[in-house]
Amino acid sequence: MSKRNDKVSISIDNSPFKVGSGLTILEAAEQNDVYIPTLCAHKELTPFGGCRMCIVEVEGMRGLPTACTTPVEEGMIIRTRTRQVQAERKEILQLILSEHTSSCLICEEKDECKGFMGTIRKAGVTTGCRYCPNDRACELQDVVEKMEIREIGYPVYYRNLRVEKDDPFYDRDYNLCILCGRCIRMCQEIRTANTLAFKQRGRYTVIGPAYERTHLEAGCEFCGACVSVCPTGALAEKVSKWEGKAEREQTTTCPFCGVGCQIRLQIRGDEVLGSLPEQDTLINDGQLCVKGRFCVAEVVNNHRRLRRPYRTQNNTRRELSWNEAIDLATERLSACSAEEFGMLISPNCSNEDLYIAQKFARVVMGSHNIDTSARWFYGTGLNGYLNLTQMAVPLSDLREASVILCLGLDTRFSRSVVGVELRKAIARGAKVLTINPRHHSLSVIAEKWIQPTSGTELSLIDSLVKLTPRKAKPSRASSKATIKGLSDELLAVAEMLKGASSPMILVGSEFLQHDESPQILESIKTLAQNTGAGVLPLPAQNNLFGSILMGTYPELLPGGFSSSSRKRLADLKKIWGLKIPGLPPAWEKKMFPVDKKLKVLYLVGEVPLDTLPESEFLIVQNIYPPDPWHAGDLALPAASFAEVDGTFINGEGRIQRVRKAVHPPGEALPDWEILCRIARKMGNKGFNFSSARKVHKEISSLVKGFGNFDKPSRKASPLTCEAELFIPRAKSKTMKTADKRFPLVLNTSVVEHTHRGFLLSTWVEGARELFPEGVLEVNSEDAKKAKISEGDEVVVTSANFEKTWPVRIVSEQPQGTMHVTLRQGESVGSNPHRVRIRKKNV
Amino acid sequence: MTKKRTARRRSGKDPARDKHFARIFSEFRGEEGDLIPILQKTQERFGFIPREAVRRIARFLKISENQIYGVASFYSQFRFTAPGRNSIKVCLGTACHVRGGQILCDAVERELDLKPGGTTEDRRYDLERVACLGCCALAPVVQVNADIHSRMTVIRLKETLDKYE
Repeated sequence: MSKRNDKVSISIDNSPFKVGSGLTILEAAEQNDVYIPTLCAHKELTPFGGCRMCIVEVEGMRGLPTACTTPVEEGMIIRTRTRQVQAERKEILQLILSEHTSSCLICEEKDECKGFMGTIRKAGVTTGCRYCPNDRACELQDVVEKMEIREIGYPVYYRNLRVEKDDPFYDRDYNLCILCGRCIRMCQEIRTANTLAFKQRGRYTVIGPAYERTHLEAGCEFCGACVSVCPTGALAEKVSKWEGKAEREQTTTCPFCGVGCQIRLQIRGDEVLGSLPEQDTLINDGQLCVKGRFCVAEVVNNHRRLRRPYRTQNNTRRELSWNEAIDLATERLSACSAEEFGMLISPNCSNEDLYIAQKFARVVMGSHNIDTSARWFYGTGLNGYLNLTQMAVPLSDLREASVILCLGLDTRFSRSVVGVELRKAIARGAKVLTINPRHHSLSVIAEKWIQPTSGTELSLIDSLVKLTPRKAKPSRASSKATIKGLSDELLAVAEMLKGASSPMILVGSEFLQHDESPQILESIKTLAQNTGAGVLPLPAQNNLFGSILMGTYPELLPGGFSSSSRKRLADLKKIWGLKIPGLPPAWEKKMFPVDKKLKVLYLVGEVPLDTLPESEFLIVQNIYPPDPWHAGDLALPAASFAEVDGTFINGEGRIQRVRKAVHPPGEALPDWEILCRIARKMGNKGFNFSSARKVHKEISSLVKGFGNFDKPSRKASPLTCEAELFIPRAKSKTMKTADKRFPLVLNTSVVEHTHRGFLLSTWVEGARELFPEGVLEVNSEDAKKAKISEGDEVVVTSANFEKTWPVRIVSEQPQGTMHVTLRQGESVGSNPHRVRIRKKNV
Repeated sequence: MTKKRTARRRSGKDPARDKHFARIFSEFRGEEGDLIPILQKTQERFGFIPREAVRRIARFLKISENQIYGVASFYSQFRFTAPGRNSIKVCLGTACHVRGGQILCDAVERELDLKPGGTTEDRRYDLERVACLGCCALAPVVQVNADIHSRMTVIRLKETLDKYE
């Protein structure tokens, strides 16, 4: 409803009010603290008028209109609590309840029972009837209480529907459903995901996707928006089932990708129950993806969190006190030279952690040997990607863009708030174009879906570059083999881009691990310059920007300056009050020294992998214990993002606050604090920080844009980074020639659903179903030919490797190609790769 | 495989073929309001709404399969299973209901292992419940194809159905 300035005078229950015209009676009443019971109305959704609980009496109107759908008019006389209205409401509510399990609502013993619910046994037990996971967090309960329903005058009818527990993250018990339609309106109007619909009619009406499909099969994004609005216990989050209502909230930044959504952590006692989206108009505007909505609680609040430091020696694990642990670390680090030290920090850490880590490496150890896992993720394309981030435009530009080109972007389970914006853009008439070799969430809704065959991605984008008027000089000779006989589709896409007044390019992760990714990223840049499009790369790491600006790379100093710049080093020396070495010659042209044996390797928020350099002493500092096969020597418990203060910088370059919501488990400490304690123990000055705020203050003296810790500016500003990272040239490709022995093409991508080095699917149960790591996706026809069925183990052979993966058959996977998501540290050489497959043990 | 083939032979149309849909969609502009007429044309062509059709309509109208199914399942005129060779309609209008229409319906369901709206595995029969066939004086009434069978009893029902191959 539009809210105009002019006011109308109305009377509600004999009190005169002046309210804005265009409001509904319900809105006017709520503004003036008059209670009208509702079940189907929700402030984010359009009025529905389905539950009939909000009926009121309006003088001069026939019958009892519903307050949620009737607009106010000048001189309206409204009565909300007359005897007739109340009687009718009670009757309607009883009818609703006749199909709803009501033991939680109506019970003679209810009041007496309450006093005896908590009993003391070995573990705290709550007795009494609990039929519904949302007991005491239920709007129906509230309304029944307010309406003073004591009994139901109708025969109670139990629908006996099967409780749907097949899908990850939430259960659905439609026996508790009152068909208010909130979830459907949420799914269709706000999320525009359209997974839910009313099916059948009359007393057979149920809610769900088409046929008897599960939500997973129906294309649900598992954003949980439907769960948030359900007034009953019909939709219940698995992880916080039976937990009741949260006591308080804390707004913070989601750490699971570079979009940087604002979330409200739901807290009870000292425990994070879950997370809900913040109405933050800059980014997520009340939306989240499955990771931000459902994975937070399980990651933060996991019983397997690392609580105390421990040492692993001769395969035995001995817990240490912090003092012992720091003494041990100090002893090993003091005996380690600058050359023999290495540190790897996760780009999921906060700026404060990253800053202290690089300061630790440079000041305490006198070494530039610090790196992040982003270098592995982006591989040879890292510089190209950083070039794009230097052009990044704010996400809110999507709301004005007329043509949006999405490159390798899939918004189903990650970055899905961007997907919502795209669908909104389509609804207002913008054109969405997508280039992606595989079936993805945008393929149905996009105006044009260009599906490059494997290996032609670069030439396809190059053809687009050629079709657009040249403004920027191409910095390299674009590949000779542009697609012969350009398809009409491609021409149409080029026309649309050329004619658009405000085009925009979104870059996902699909092409990032491609052999030709440096060239692809460069072509994207040229394309953006040619068409004047705004580019927004959407990194998988929540603080990739931060890692660059804090200088956690051998080549970079804080502020994005080159570490070989003598002047910058001198500046730093002044601020840090210390002598800082120049770049050690051995490191100048190398990435992390994989081939060299180190004395101490220190992992902050990363996990030990086979691909890391060998070391005599391995320190693992993380929120979870490392797996027993790679236990390391010393494990230090770190605090998770929900337990620390700090800042992240998202993919648009916004500095966003992370706020402490609960205490860390056991003796865990923030990453920066552990590093500072060790540094102090080793006799270093300049590590006396009492809080993240103090660290932030020091950062602000070195890096532009940092300042107010409590209210960071949050202005989107593209990355400034003057140095190029050194990336060794990729080796030759095996892809070019067709080979009869290897008829299929395997595409690989590296898993992006990780947090602090761990796969989300390790710690979050539902994520295992959604993110298929190490699962080979095969086209159904190819599978038929190879006599493979779903779940079979398949041996994949190429000229240089042989690996076995379980199979998932995906009819949308283009024929002749396969896809697998590799775990971190796993590699198959070139990508794409020519292979053949056979069923194992056949 | 054989089942599939017989089904194809019966309707003579394979819903996986583009040309049927090209013809159906050619009359429409692809707006949301076209949904019900498209569903009607689809049912006219195939005798029911195949899953493939829902998928293609979703692509054409750019609305989700779930919404299409929601709309289509609201109306009793649309069915989602291929019709059988003989269609049984059991009347459950007021008069037939009073004279035991529900018992007849239950008998068919039990005898043929069939739910209303479904088709037997051998595709010999499909079953529907209808509200009134307009011959209340003859209640209870069962219609098989075009034939009205009046004053039906459970015992006679089996003999009657056996006549239809």
